[in-house]
Amino acid sequence: MIRPRQALLAAGAVLLAIHPVLAQTAATSTPAAADSTYALVWFLLSTLVLMGMVFLVLFVALISWMKPQLRQLYNLPTVHDTWSGQVLGLLVGDARLVQGDVRDEVLDHDYDGIREFDNDLPPWWKWGFAFTVVFAISYVTYYHVMRKGLLQGAEYAAEMRQAALFVPVGGDDPNQVTTYAALTAPADLSSGKSIFATNCAPCHGANAEGKVGPNLTDEFWLHGGGVNNLYKTIKFGINGKGMVAWKGKLSGKQMLQVASYTLSLQGSKPANPKAPQGEKEAAGKPVAKL
Amino acid sequence: MQAELELPTSQPRPTALPPPVRGVESFFYDNKIVRDFGVATVIWGIIGMLVGVIVAFELARPELNVTRYTTFGRLRPLHTNAVIFAFVGNGIFTGVYYSLQRLCKARMFSDVLSKIHFWGWQLIIVSAVISLPLGYTTSKEYAELEWPIDIAITLVWVVFGWNMFGTIARRRERHLYVAIWFYIATFITVAVLHIVNSMALPVSFMKSYSMYAGVQDALVQWWYGHNAVAFFLTTPYLGMMYYFLPKAAERPVYSYRLSIIHFWALIFIYIWAGPHHLLYTALPDWAQSLGVAFSIMLIAPSWGGMINGLLTLRGAWDRVRTEPVLKFFVVAITAYGMATFEGPMLALKNVNAIAHFTDWIVAHVHVGALGWNGFLTFGMLYWLWPRLYRTPLFSKKLANTHFWLGTLGILFYALPLYWAGFTQGLMWKQFNAEGMLQYPNFLETVLQIVPMYYLRGMGGVLYLSGVFLMMYNLYQTAKAGTLLANEPAHAPALLPAAEDPHATGGHWHRWIERRPFQLAVGATVAIAIGGAVEMIPTFLVKSNVPTIAAVHPYRPLELQGRDLYIKEGCSNCHTQMVRPFRSETERYGEYSKAGEFVYDRPFLWGSKRTGPDLHRVGAKYPNSWHYNHMMDPTSMSPGSIMPPYPWLFDNQLDNSTLPAKIRVLQKLGTPYPAGFDRLAVADAETQARGVAAALKTEDIDVKSDREIVALIAYLQRLGTDIKVKPAQVAATAAAQ
Repeated sequence: MIRPRQALLAAGAVLLAIHPVLAQTAATSTPAAADSTYALVWFLLSTLVLMGMVFLVLFVALISWMKPQLRQLYNLPTVHDTWSGQVLGLLVGDARLVQGDVRDEVLDHDYDGIREFDNDLPPWWKWGFAFTVVFAISYVTYYHVMRKGLLQGAEYAAEMRQAALFVPVGGDDPNQVTTYAALTAPADLSSGKSIFATNCAPCHGANAEGKVGPNLTDEFWLHGGGVNNLYKTIKFGINGKGMVAWKGKLSGKQMLQVASYTLSLQGSKPANPKAPQGEKEAAGKPVAKL
Repeated sequence: MQAELELPTSQPRPTALPPPVRGVESFFYDNKIVRDFGVATVIWGIIGMLVGVIVAFELARPELNVTRYTTFGRLRPLHTNAVIFAFVGNGIFTGVYYSLQRLCKARMFSDVLSKIHFWGWQLIIVSAVISLPLGYTTSKEYAELEWPIDIAITLVWVVFGWNMFGTIARRRERHLYVAIWFYIATFITVAVLHIVNSMALPVSFMKSYSMYAGVQDALVQWWYGHNAVAFFLTTPYLGMMYYFLPKAAERPVYSYRLSIIHFWALIFIYIWAGPHHLLYTALPDWAQSLGVAFSIMLIAPSWGGMINGLLTLRGAWDRVRTEPVLKFFVVAITAYGMATFEGPMLALKNVNAIAHFTDWIVAHVHVGALGWNGFLTFGMLYWLWPRLYRTPLFSKKLANTHFWLGTLGILFYALPLYWAGFTQGLMWKQFNAEGMLQYPNFLETVLQIVPMYYLRGMGGVLYLSGVFLMMYNLYQTAKAGTLLANEPAHAPALLPAAEDPHATGGHWHRWIERRPFQLAVGATVAIAIGGAVEMIPTFLVKSNVPTIAAVHPYRPLELQGRDLYIKEGCSNCHTQMVRPFRSETERYGEYSKAGEFVYDRPFLWGSKRTGPDLHRVGAKYPNSWHYNHMMDPTSMSPGSIMPPYPWLFDNQLDNSTLPAKIRVLQKLGTPYPAGFDRLAVADAETQARGVAAALKTEDIDVKSDREIVALIAYLQRLGTDIKVKPAQVAATAAAQ
């Protein structure tokens, strides 16, 4: 009995002792250090849970070992009806406390042979019902009388404010001119190719020959050629003309990869090309607007 | 064959020694009508579940959507209507017609009414089986049938009530047993729900527009939908449980006072909980909160029924091991308890945020439908058939096999869908470290759960195969015996109230048990309060649906497209309700506002996202994208499980009822200018030519009078009335 308790105390003490250390490492941690901190927390937490379980098992064992004595105690008239006595009653397994009084007295009526008892409502049911009523009243009060809880509009605003903290300032201005150079590394282009196949091919064709969307292999551009114009079109889409805005769906790097891959298809002359649309611009040529 | 099953005695016990002052009357119970309803429930059960298995596999293998009449969008309403109103409905009437006669000690009021009720109900179901695959639907869930059928339902329901109250009026038993309280509450509430929710103005023989629009329509619909579950799938079955369970277990009911409290609490609280189907939608917050609060309070009243059922089995548990009827009852009641605990948990907003629109909900309702309704019906039929046919059940072994097939079927059905729902709900919400959606492509979240759709379909097959066994078993039982069409019974006539020693006194609740009229009035009051408190302010207080100046009525062609959307049942898989979560506004665009739906009759918010939300799909893709997508969804979304809709490209758009549609909408308050009905067709044709011309620029040749043109016009209009404020969508962006 004493051993688990000591162990529990020890575990708690260790956890407390380590706590400032945790805070320190977290503050200065590299990812690897953070991982090991987590591992430590998990280890301590699981130790604690394990201890708790051992303690519980021993407690149950003790109760069942001492049951005759406890029952004697419970049956004392001064104990039986007190609050602590009821707890004791639950420990020794008095079904009455769960079920209510089961008198099984048959009522005097009979419907086609069906008789009815009039047993008590089980206390857990009765108190459970009362609890849900209290919960319901508190719930409505909290949100609509005290107006403490966030209703859905406010909840959404809070969520968006939180998310906005992660966005770099000025990173989302459609008019901001980017000055990327097209990527040429094979890894980037092959990544761009697979992004193109899953996201762009349905509209622009598997070989960018143009289907719903325009042909991307010719020198004609509706919204400007060159990697920076392409990047902008991909990122913000063309509202009303069907080009989806991919920001939030593809990362900046992915958009640059797929823009670079698309430009690498210039002059590839795929089968069934869509007729040229837009203005002619040599893709490689620096775009005046930039 | 099992020899030990005792033949039921033809004569109820209490009539053996009547007190000398009361003249014993002899009469006959009508067993034939019970048998007829029983046969109907088995046949419709098989049909409804078969359609269920088909639609289940259609989700896993889209090529199974073979004709325009059997797409998922058209068959799914047929499945729900068939199992709710045909299988469970006939099950209710079987149970009520058997137990009511015996609890009232009287034959049904009128054999003619019984017959009209029976054939009228079957006719209504047949009309559903024909009209739903043809695309005649209001799109309001579990109320899809069009207005002529709605009227027929009302009439047949009145016949049922007339017959029931007539029988009660002629009863030879002073007090009404708890089962009858539940039957009365069922009759009244279903009538109120059906009439209020079906209010519509007809346009033509099989087309009407809802009297309510947008948010109000949604509130009425889910008040109805939720309470159809309460008063069609729950209260009548609780009544049947209170009769057939003590009968089969031969044990007294556990607690009379528990039955009183849980009956009144259940019917009063249930009616309020409808808005929990609309959490995080454009429904006003206060109505949502009421839905949450009352759902939580519903746990105990529901469980009151469960514990009164399970505790009634005390002393009979040894027989549960051997008696298939009791096995079915135990699983039914347990499933009821699980579903009625899970429901309130799903009604908590934080749980609902994950579970709503996913297959979790589908799993939840099937635990109730397959477990509670199905198993209680099966148990009842296995108990009834030997009594109706005066012979032991043909095979207890087969019944046991049915039990195990059914139980396994439920598990195979529910567990994969819980898994699928949870998976998809989390995938929709997952952001990556860069602040972008982890799964921006909706299809990815669908393909992830397709294996679960297969497993669920197999669960359905298991369950259905059990029903086939039951059909065979009941058929053989009937063949071995002869139907006791008219069962002789004896009971003393009721004394006039003044002379009857039972007419006064007893428990305080006995007073109302002697007065069916007062009981009916009390039940009506109990069920009227919740609906009134939620609906009246939503209709009358303007601030509940703030109007938006930029929102205009649909142009005629868009209206036609919308009606095609309804006809094809698109709302069975696509929602039109972007909820105010970052994960949804990132994926779809600005969240939906109440004022955007003021011209939506009916509302089309949907309840399940098998495909992505469509409220902001307007102007998102070019017309040609939609054209190609409707012709072959996989061309635009490789791997899509949506079926193709080639007939939309052949069918000419029917504009003949368009002027009538405009006039009806004007009557309902849509502000089309006076005389617009005469200009509507021309306007539709103009817009159609515009869409066709736009498609032409994208190298697609289509005649402007085809249905696809109207559908594209509608889809391109969706959600475009309000301009999205850039500040609200700009919270996250690419990292650079």
